[in-house]
This record gives sequence, C-alpha cells and structure tokens, in this order.
Amino acid sequence: MQAGDYLHDHFGKTVIRIQVAIAFILLLLLPAANFFYPTDYSLKAGIHGVSAILAIVVGTYLTHRAIPLIKGMQVRLESLRHWVLAATLLNLAGAVSGNWIYMRYRGQDGPRDWILARVPNFHNVLMEFKEFVSLFPFPLMLAAAFMLYYYGMPMQYRRDIGRFVGVTILISWSFLLLGFAAGLVLAKLRFV
Amino acid sequence: MQNESGAQKLYSGPLVAASLSLLLAFLTLMVSHHISRLTKELDKMVHAYGHWIPGSTGSGPDGSIGSYSGKETLALGVWLASWLIFHFLWRKQDLSVRAWTRFFVTGLVLITLGFFHPLSDPIVLFIAGLFGIH
Repeated sequence: MQAGDYLHDHFGKTVIRIQVAIAFILLLLLPAANFFYPTDYSLKAGIHGVSAILAIVVGTYLTHRAIPLIKGMQVRLESLRHWVLAATLLNLAGAVSGNWIYMRYRGQDGPRDWILARVPNFHNVLMEFKEFVSLFPFPLMLAAAFMLYYYGMPMQYRRDIGRFVGVTILISWSFLLLGFAAGLVLAKLRFV
Repeated sequence: MQNESGAQKLYSGPLVAASLSLLLAFLTLMVSHHISRLTKELDKMVHAYGHWIPGSTGSGPDGSIGSYSGKETLALGVWLASWLIFHFLWRKQDLSVRAWTRFFVTGLVLITLGFFHPLSDPIVLFIAGLFGIH
C-alpha cells in the first residue's frame, strides 16, 4: 500500500480541536490560580502569569505560521499580521506586568532577599539573565509586525524579506520561552 | 527574486533599520547593566534616567525596580532614535538581507551571552580595569 500524505478527516480534526481547547484551558488555570494565592501581590502575579502564558500560546502558534514564510511559500498575509500584532500586544503586556511584579520581587523580604540568603545563584545568574532577555520578545515581535504591515502583499515576491520576518518570529519565541521557563523556576522557588 | 512586473519595488533598508535598532537597544541594555554593577555612583547615574517610570524608586515590601528603569529608558531611547534615523536613511536602499540575517542572529546570540554573568563578568572587570574602575 502506498503511504501517501495523511489528511485529517472530520473526526481527526474534531479530536485535535478538543485536545487543543482542553490543553489551553488547563494551561491557563496554572497562572490564573495566582489570583487566589494568599499574598498581597496576587493581582500582580496573576496578571503577569496570564499574559505570559497567553504570549507563549500565541507565540508558539506563530512559530508554525513562520515556517512557510521561511520556506518561501504563499501565506495568508492578512491573517498572519493580525496574529503577529496580537502577539506583540501580549508580549508588551508580559513585559509591563513583569516590571510591575519585579518591584515586589526586589522588595523588603521579597523573593530576591529570600533567594540571596539561601541559593544566591538563582538570583545572581538566573534572574539577572531572565530580567533582560524577557524584554526581547516584545520589540522583536513589533519589528516583525512592522515589516508585515510596511511591505504588505508585495512581500510575497521577496523571498529573502519573508524569510527574515519568519526568522524574527522564531527568535522572538525563543527568548519568550527562555524568559518563561526562568520565570517559572523563580516563581516556584519563592513566590511573591 | 524581484518582481519585475510588479508596480512597486521593495527595498530591504527599512527591514535592516528595524532590526539593527533592536541590536543597538539590546546592546545598550547590556552595557548599561554592566556599568551599573561596577560602583554605587555609576548605578545612581544609570538609575537617574529611569526616575520617570512609576515604581522606579522606593523601598519597603512593595519595592521598586531600581536602576533597571534607567537601563530600560536608555535602551528605549536608543531603539526608537536609531530606528527612526536608519529608516529614513535607508528607505530607498536595497541591502543584502542574506548577509544581514547572519549578522543579526550572531549579534543576538553574543548579546544574550553577555547577560550570562559567569561568562561576561571577567570580561567586564577586565575592561573596567582599563578605565581604573575596581
């Protein structure tokens, strides 16, 4: 029997969509639970967590949209740039709320003091790295959005430009993931 | 790969401007961060640029972001100013995107390593030593 391309039938698509929906809701519960944690900073923590998770979800979806762009295939530009714009805003929300929660992190008897007294390298190496690379995804995604809007439809004829935009999206996602994983480690180590 | 029959010609200049300004901004973030760690006076100097940001000063349990605000302000300034300048300089220029992609990615990797203190601190201290800062 010839092994041709596997095309998802109606049933397959339904299973995948339900799977994505369940994963998305459960994933969102992870940071949304922060709103109910017994701390004075639950609002700040919840907002930062939710915006970070949403940025991760949209950013990860966009890596799949970036691949055809890198390969020089035709893409639905109109829809792509709406998604990139949404990712830009979510990354901005993540950075702004990150600044907000960072205040408490550095506050008296906050996570920084606790970590420095016990496991200083988690602050001196990990946090010092995380606080800066977490600022990268927003401007990178904004640059990608700018290029998609600035060049518009004729971009399809310039494979090199399309490829650069795709690479920029992938890089933005990489920094987002670095910052996200580091943030999770720190929040798990000592919550605000 | 240029669209010969297309009505408009695309220039890669604005693409390079948008991404080069990012490299410069991230570099500013890195340099100002390392400078602020050398002495208290230098930290105060960097911090002063960020006083306009809410929550940049203060202590107590609520804390503040401290000189991080100054590093962000400097990076933001370099980013937007250099983007604007390069955009208008290069909006009718076609630069090699292939060569630029390599430079851009390499630059980002190097800057990222610059934020990893075990690697960057010896280099920073060596350079600071040349300026007589210990």
